Amino acid sequence: MDLILEARNLGKRFQGLVALKHVSFGLVRGEILGLVGPNGAGKTTLINLVSGTLTPTNGDIIFEGKVLQQPTFRRARLGIARTFQITKPFSGLTVLENVAVAALFGSEGGKRNLRQAKQAAQQWLEFVGLDQRLSMRADSLGGPDRKRLELAKALAMKPKLLLLDEVMAGLNQVEIDAVITVIKKMRDQGISILIVEHVMKAIRALCDRLLVLHHGQTIALGDPSQVLNDPAVVEAYLGRKHA
Amino acid sequence: MKLLIRWSVLAAALALLIVLPWVAPATLVQFGISTLMLATLAQSWSIIGGYTGYASFGGSVFYGLGSYGTAIAMIEYHLPFGVGLILGALVAVIFAVLVGLPVLRLRGHYFAIATLALAQVVPAIVSNLEIAGRNIGLILPLLKNDALFYEAALGLLVATTISIWYISRSRFGFGLMAIRENEDAAAAMGINTTLYKTLAFAIAGFFSAMSGGIHAYWITFIEPGGEFDIGLNVKMIIMAVFGGPGSVLGPIAGAFLLSGISEILSFKISNVASLFFGFVIVIAVVLMPHGLADLWHRYKKLGLRYFSENIRENRV
Amino acid sequence: MVLLWQVLANGILLGGLYALMALGLALVWGVLNIVNLAHGAFIMLGAYVCYYLFALVHVDPFLALPAVMVVLFVLGYTLQRHVLNLIIRAPMFNTLLVTFGFEVVLTNLAQMIFSADFRTVNPGYAGANFNLLGATIPLARILAFTTGLSLTAGLWFFLLKARLGRAIRATAQNLIAARLYGVETRTIYAITFGLGAALAGAAGDLYGLVSQINPYIGGSLTAKSFAICIIGGLQNPLGVVVGGIFLGIVESLTALYLGPTYTDVASFGILVLVLVLRPTGLLGRTA
Repeated sequence: MDLILEARNLGKRFQGLVALKHVSFGLVRGEILGLVGPNGAGKTTLINLVSGTLTPTNGDIIFEGKVLQQPTFRRARLGIARTFQITKPFSGLTVLENVAVAALFGSEGGKRNLRQAKQAAQQWLEFVGLDQRLSMRADSLGGPDRKRLELAKALAMKPKLLLLDEVMAGLNQVEIDAVITVIKKMRDQGISILIVEHVMKAIRALCDRLLVLHHGQTIALGDPSQVLNDPAVVEAYLGRKHA
Repeated sequence: MKLLIRWSVLAAALALLIVLPWVAPATLVQFGISTLMLATLAQSWSIIGGYTGYASFGGSVFYGLGSYGTAIAMIEYHLPFGVGLILGALVAVIFAVLVGLPVLRLRGHYFAIATLALAQVVPAIVSNLEIAGRNIGLILPLLKNDALFYEAALGLLVATTISIWYISRSRFGFGLMAIRENEDAAAAMGINTTLYKTLAFAIAGFFSAMSGGIHAYWITFIEPGGEFDIGLNVKMIIMAVFGGPGSVLGPIAGAFLLSGISEILSFKISNVASLFFGFVIVIAVVLMPHGLADLWHRYKKLGLRYFSENIRENRV
Repeated sequence: MVLLWQVLANGILLGGLYALMALGLALVWGVLNIVNLAHGAFIMLGAYVCYYLFALVHVDPFLALPAVMVVLFVLGYTLQRHVLNLIIRAPMFNTLLVTFGFEVVLTNLAQMIFSADFRTVNPGYAGANFNLLGATIPLARILAFTTGLSLTAGLWFFLLKARLGRAIRATAQNLIAARLYGVETRTIYAITFGLGAALAGAAGDLYGLVSQINPYIGGSLTAKSFAICIIGGLQNPLGVVVGGIFLGIVESLTALYLGPTYTDVASFGILVLVLVLRPTGLLGRTA
């Protein structure tokens, strides 16, 4: 089994608070693994550990067979891209420039040439449906478009592993469907995805497997329909089975 | 077509500037030298403050280091001016890297204050050094050739501007701008923020120091108060900000315009120049915080409403 | 040994004055998140108001304190209400620039009006001193020290207990909630800035007693006030007191062991070190 990402007995502690404890799982290359759990379960902490924003208190993260210890920017070069729950666009730059930056610096050092980067950026923006907004300032975009921009930036990095942190939050049904389509296209391109989500519709449509966290620990891992019917999971959500 | 016009205007302006020492009176040439040096300082500030978003209040440190480095090289070690200039710039770059690494980890207010503190510490240290002549200062070999210094200052400004032009269209420049707009996102994208910030700081320091070196040889007599003058920081920053930080020619426009107006005003009273700068800073930051470049582009659309828009964006 | 005690005593007394100097800056920084680069200029102006009240009307510096504070309060209030309020939501850098602009304008106006001559305030008791465990303590200094600490304590109580003080703290903590409770934020901001200026003025008033004044002292006093705020932390006025006394002692010891020309090196060197190694200050969290 070709595991692109593995967590072995991962733990994270902040002073007195234990955010994650004994978390172990593997992400198969090419799969979409959903990361779910009630608020405060430790999902974003886990994403931050994989991206390098935080370092584990114990345990290891293994990417493509090697333990990850580098700072964030080097992990980006290795092929790990992420989106942020609260989007982080380069506000003063245009939409095209935002994605061009990603193309310039993405995995394996990216493109060196600005013109090539802009061309690649344009293609990615077409892919996510933002090609009408190329010269607008990034901070003038509305909510859903900002999410699209985050996705385009992540894609332009040519990642092997994409970490999506609540990318559906704040979107309406139509917008959710659009983003689901984009994510499916990404998986078809061979990108492995770890997706944190609360929106059940998206989870059901996208995820090959689900990992459920509760109070920083794994309570279920496996096929979505099985996991979602697991009594422990139902209890953790206190009956909230549907979005 | 538009591009051709722009380049022609630029070329003409440059040609005019080059021949100035042979057609203008001596006082204008001297004014020219000071203004060209200030323009270089404004440009170098733009690299770290405008493009990278790290507002340094310590440009005077590099200027002074370049000045003293050149002076000591020429006086103590009897090296020619060119070599002294490079050595002074080297000292500044090394200082920028050593100090930059810890200090650039600070954000916002704290970085500004740290550089302000440096702007106080370094002259305090220099005025205690024997080799720097302590508080009394140093006397360099005399060379009375304003035309030469003018062309040197002009050459430096051109070199600095070309570097900025090149940076603004390079991968490095985009990395800097990404850091300015959102440093966390920049790191997540694969940009080595520490390396880039430090490089920007060092490049800014390099050009500031070269300016200082030329200044030292030109005025012949240097002392800590003058070469590490904190007021320089005000001028550099306001000229860059006024002209348009993050633009290639903006700081030059800011420098020329503000110097010119202040020169006209301070004919009678020397304090008026500084007073003028103070007022300009306040008015400019309130009414046109994005600089001349932005004013130039958006005034056509908005007219006077441009100013009230700026205020409305930012007030309580 | 006695010499060391003398130097320490000098440092502590100086520190009390330094604490008062930094207090206004800490208040404005903590509440308004404004780093006021003109703070030193306010101190300088306070010193000059005191000087002229003394020289022209023979008012004792301590008795002049209320007047000095009122004048500076009005200046600070006006600058905040009509200029700084216009840019308060802009990036922090803009505020730095504008207050820098204030500094330049105030310093140069002072130069033009008061001339660059050095001046001191010399009331009759200027020479009086008494002996404490072998150290000579100038009366003026100990009066300045106690006044400084009293004003600091006064501010602390004001912020804790007085209605206006609590309104100020509320605005600092949660602008929107404060507005919902009917707090008129522009006025609160202006009052806070005015208070900061008034405290700076008081420090300036006392400064004239212990040191020479000229229009250019603002710059380094601002930098020293920063150092104190950063070293002591912005959590509460106690931090400023600790920071002030710490800096006072450092300067005194440096003057003794390395020489007076090294005091600036020591104070600003420590500032840089603290910023780099422990930006939260020696005591606690900064704003």
